Amino acid sequence: MFDLELNINSWTDHLRSSGKLNEDDILELENHLRDQIDELIEKGLSRDEAFIISVKRLGNVNSLSKEFSKINTDTLWKHLIVDLSDTDQKQTRRDILLVIILSLLAGTVTRVATLFDFWNEDLFVIKNFSFFILPFIALFFVFNRGTDKKLLSYVLGIFALTAFIINQFPSRVPNHTETLTALHLPILLWLVTGVAYMGLKWKANKERMNFIRFTGESVIYGSLILFGLIVLMAFTMILFEAISVDVSEPIIETLVIYAGCAAAITTMYLVETKKSIVENFAPILAKLFSPLFLITMVTFLAVIIFTGKSPFLDRNFLIAFDLMLVLVLGMVLYIISARKMHETSGIFDYLNVALITTALIIDGVALSAIVFRLSEYGVTPNKLAALGENIVLLGNLIGLLWLYICYFRGKIEFIKIERWQTAYLTIYAVWIAIVVFVFPILFGFE
Amino acid sequence: MDISKDLIAASATPLILTILKKEDSYGYDIIKKVKELSNNELVWTEGMLYPVLHRLEKNEFIESYWKKANNGRKRKYYRLKEDGLEELENQKKQWELVHNTLSKEI
Repeated sequence: MFDLELNINSWTDHLRSSGKLNEDDILELENHLRDQIDELIEKGLSRDEAFIISVKRLGNVNSLSKEFSKINTDTLWKHLIVDLSDTDQKQTRRDILLVIILSLLAGTVTRVATLFDFWNEDLFVIKNFSFFILPFIALFFVFNRGTDKKLLSYVLGIFALTAFIINQFPSRVPNHTETLTALHLPILLWLVTGVAYMGLKWKANKERMNFIRFTGESVIYGSLILFGLIVLMAFTMILFEAISVDVSEPIIETLVIYAGCAAAITTMYLVETKKSIVENFAPILAKLFSPLFLITMVTFLAVIIFTGKSPFLDRNFLIAFDLMLVLVLGMVLYIISARKMHETSGIFDYLNVALITTALIIDGVALSAIVFRLSEYGVTPNKLAALGENIVLLGNLIGLLWLYICYFRGKIEFIKIERWQTAYLTIYAVWIAIVVFVFPILFGFE
Repeated sequence: MDISKDLIAASATPLILTILKKEDSYGYDIIKKVKELSNNELVWTEGMLYPVLHRLEKNEFIESYWKKANNGRKRKYYRLKEDGLEELENQKKQWELVHNTLSKEI
């Protein structure tokens, strides 16, 4: 016997799964379907015939929801959730399973490592943190992007070798070089993971640009997910506090670790799957904030000049400036990456040049401060690392500025700027590797 | 007679507004009325109608409310608003202009 209600329900469920319709829309369409069915039954059709014809008339769900999504542009964020077209539903299920398994693995490894409670004694966990998650992300790329197996073995080999070397280094107070290693290692290993992302063509400009883009999107996406998790955590705490149940420290710690790992891998998955739509995110933010950063930096420089105050007396500020310069460089890159190659130079190119120039001046000021401190207070690992980073950054900015000038004068194609920038990534990797591996030896692991 | 897709799309707004001017109505009924009024020539698809309805609502030409029908089912009705009436007059004038131009003997 044909069950009309059951069939109507499964039809609306199918509408729901497209993720593009809200409950109101679905109810409206359901009623439409019912009206249609009633009319056909009145005309003498059987219930199942009426159902089939009505569904057919309403059009297939995909095209229907596509029409709706054109109107519901207010809910564009919904596109960011993976929508299921019938053909790649299977693929999606496989991917989600992969995300869950890898998250659990990464979480378990991290949890076990933290159980040894090296946390307080030395930097073991912090130093090794990248090894707990990044290999699993590399694995994800292999399954998801079909990275070459041989390449993966190299990547994992580098991970293993690095882990071995780093943990051979003795730990000596005051741990300056060890802290530097802990800070720089994740960046270095992220670049190594990037090779797994880029695949065999990891030297190619296009792949590297994609990876830069991917990194930026991951940061934005990851922050969103992290923010959500923090809210959830806060509410969980409040709820349990309300009933006076004390959640013990280890449980909270375990939850945080697993949630963090899951957030990281989910971020990779979402950014990768929704590439085409998400891709527009970072460049828009970059365009939005680059003028604001420019104003801030110019004002800052003007104030320094007029008041004659040096901002670099405290070394913490030096680090803050470096971070800001990296951020500015990131924005410059995103504006470049969003640019269409055949476009003629527009306002954002000039803005980029202004940003680069200002960053260059600030970097110059910072550099002079570091050199001053080096000559005044002697060489320390921190200062030397900062010096190297500022020089690398300076080289990057000068190169960009020079190429931009050449481009404005019509001497080179825009693609040259992009190529140069992606090639320059190697220099960053080399310097970071020096800080991670050579500095400890150079400074006697202190 | 096959009516071109473009024309159907262009005429959807004035037709919907005309129907709603007479009395409040819901999606299924609107499609039926259009079919009747056009002697079965204009057959709209749901995929076309609902997006237009929702856009009109967003533009504040019409508003919607849920009402229980006689058979106990809740239906989403649409009602013409002041702005919608103005828009209808406006569109009618445009259609008349096109119609008059077409009717002139050259």
